[in-house]
Amino acid sequence: MNPGIDLQASVIHVLTDLGVPEDLAPVLWVPLPLLLMLAAATVGVLVAVWLERKVSAAAQQRVGPEYIGPLGILAPVADGLKLIFKEDVIPAKADPLLFTLGPAIVVIPVFLSYLVVPFGQKMVITDLGIGIFFWIALASVVPIGLLMAGYASNNKYALLGGLRAAAQSISYEIPLALAVLAIVMMSNSLSTIDIVQQQSGYGILGWNLWRQPVGLVIFWVAALAECERLPFDLPEAEEELVAGYQTEYTGMKFGLFYLGSYVNLILSSLLFAVLYLGGWESPVSVSWLVGLVGVPENTPWVEVITASLGVVMTLFKAYLLLFLAILLRWTVPRVRIDQLLDLGWKFLLPVSLVNLLATAALKLAFPVAFGG
Amino acid sequence: MNLAAGVQIVSFGLLAAIILVGALGVVLLPNIVFAAFLLGLVFIGMAGQYLLLNADFVAAAQVLIYVGAVNVLILFAIMLVNKKEDFTPLPRAWVRRGATALVCLGLFALMGTTIASTPWALDPAPTVSSSVATIGAHFFSDFLLPFELVSVLLLAALIGAVVLARRDYLPTVKEQETVFSLPERPRELITSDSK
Amino acid sequence: MLKFLRQAKDYAQEAVQAARYIGQGLAVTFDHMQRRPITVQYPYEKLIPSERWRGRIHFEFDKCISCEVCVRVCPINLPVVDWEYNKEVKKKELKHYSIDFGVCIFCGNCVEYCPTNCLSMTEEYEMAVYDRHELNYDGVALGRLPYKVTADPMVTPLRELAYLPAGVLDPHNLPPGSTRAGQQPEEIVAQHQAQKPSKEINQ
Repeated sequence: MNPGIDLQASVIHVLTDLGVPEDLAPVLWVPLPLLLMLAAATVGVLVAVWLERKVSAAAQQRVGPEYIGPLGILAPVADGLKLIFKEDVIPAKADPLLFTLGPAIVVIPVFLSYLVVPFGQKMVITDLGIGIFFWIALASVVPIGLLMAGYASNNKYALLGGLRAAAQSISYEIPLALAVLAIVMMSNSLSTIDIVQQQSGYGILGWNLWRQPVGLVIFWVAALAECERLPFDLPEAEEELVAGYQTEYTGMKFGLFYLGSYVNLILSSLLFAVLYLGGWESPVSVSWLVGLVGVPENTPWVEVITASLGVVMTLFKAYLLLFLAILLRWTVPRVRIDQLLDLGWKFLLPVSLVNLLATAALKLAFPVAFGG
Repeated sequence: MNLAAGVQIVSFGLLAAIILVGALGVVLLPNIVFAAFLLGLVFIGMAGQYLLLNADFVAAAQVLIYVGAVNVLILFAIMLVNKKEDFTPLPRAWVRRGATALVCLGLFALMGTTIASTPWALDPAPTVSSSVATIGAHFFSDFLLPFELVSVLLLAALIGAVVLARRDYLPTVKEQETVFSLPERPRELITSDSK
Repeated sequence: MLKFLRQAKDYAQEAVQAARYIGQGLAVTFDHMQRRPITVQYPYEKLIPSERWRGRIHFEFDKCISCEVCVRVCPINLPVVDWEYNKEVKKKELKHYSIDFGVCIFCGNCVEYCPTNCLSMTEEYEMAVYDRHELNYDGVALGRLPYKVTADPMVTPLRELAYLPAGVLDPHNLPPGSTRAGQQPEEIVAQHQAQKPSKEINQ
């Protein structure tokens, strides 16, 4: 298997060539992908917000934002600027420390989870051995921030929203983890890179999509619930709870919640793409195509094209899933809290356990197809 | 001392400070919600210490279980207690506090002596690339019995929770039937012949 | 055991049915995406009011004979007709005429009953003002003709529902030459005139 381009090695090489001492060069490299990822995640959110508004408009036979930049693409930027310049109000009877800390605790784990999202063989910030488990562990920290925000607001709607968010998050984490576990069992590794590698080689036919159809549905439902997307947006159900835990927030603190929810949605879509849709693999295997043309695989321009195609493919799959999430938003009505918990504990949990068991059985029976 | 070792020492110091200060806060703070949030911080600090010991899986599990589940449930319980109650100050509260402090100090001394007397033989274990596989191998060989016992314990707890949550197994007190009446006073109907 | 199996089967069937319904709903939402937007970007685009639109009333001062029919048919006796009897020509002479559009309900009775057709409906509907008394139009204001939407260079006129062909709800991007359902007013006139000679022959 061709490792593709190694950005880290080449950047460090360039730095040492420029006269940077050998010890210092890797240290200089460390912040680069982090900053790049932070910027990419934020830009990804802008795109997601624009898509959300445009697709929602199309689903309702409206036009959507049109005059802020061509096709309204600057609308999310305008939103963000407005939130930055808004006055930051802390309610008089709120707890100022927890009130400020809450949004940060919600956003930081989500951004940290981007550490393990791969865009290519070497296009990942860190290939952690515990890869996907790292994401699940970090996602479980988010409800603490929500509870904190809900409690510190000193508002009954905020507290109810926070409690609902925590209950929902805890209930849906279990089916989510079990669905991921089935994938991990097939690829014999928690690392996101290994999970994609295990799906590679046969183009679209090798993706986990075909091996885990049930797990895919469970993962998607649970991911939507974790992101508090519309069929499951009880924590901020505006008809009953004003805006849930966000009720008292304005300015950039509200902006952090807003940003966090979209970053989380994109993250879930990216990880869905990695787990079930073959990550950076294209529907037709690139190495096979390259072999067809007859160019050696380690030619520089082929490597560059493969790498950029990988990034494009990952993003394309993620945004396709985002589109599906928006469609679902305008199709499915919000569930009640008891229906939500019913679905999580009485349907998704048993089904995901059965799925796990079936995957284990299939792995023993057909080790060739299910990663023996 | 190279860069990596320096980073390690500094982060060890920071994490130890976080754990100590956080733990003291959990015990001493009068506001129970703050104490619960600080407990989460202590758990995170412990996860950091695990990371420094090359135990990445244990660290992630610590975050997932202790911060994500235990601490959230504690917070849940605190926030669902709806009434703020003013406790009457006990006459000799300092006796209790002194006794608690004494017991705690005794425990600390006991543990301190144990730690000091234990020969911490640090055999240079080879750093395993995948701690998950090692842990799994141990679970299904020499730690099989504790592992299974823990799972049985969890199962028992689960069933207990289900029994507690399902009210039909508990004896129910017969509620008095309330008769609902309208708060309005009855009005006479206006009929045509009353004019 | 059998009962349990049947329960499980029913449950599975329900789950599948729910999934199918969600799929159908998604198909409907997806179908909506390819429909054209019905948005009218208001200050830049305006709908052409239909020919029976009851907008602001236009008044021709010189045609009025001060008969006050408009006042009598008005549900709230709104038009103010100020006239003086000129004894020399033995005619009423109109001095002032005004209608307060803040009170008018645009029922059109005055227009219907005016014997000299000096009242008529216009297609003007943009009557937002800062002070409600500005809506009290006098004879001069009533005599002004509104801007036609089709003649305004700043505005893209869009055909309203009544002008669209059958089954199409959307004013945007209509194929050229498409007309609304039914007959256009000029066609009715043409038909009427074509019928007239035949009627005269019959008589």
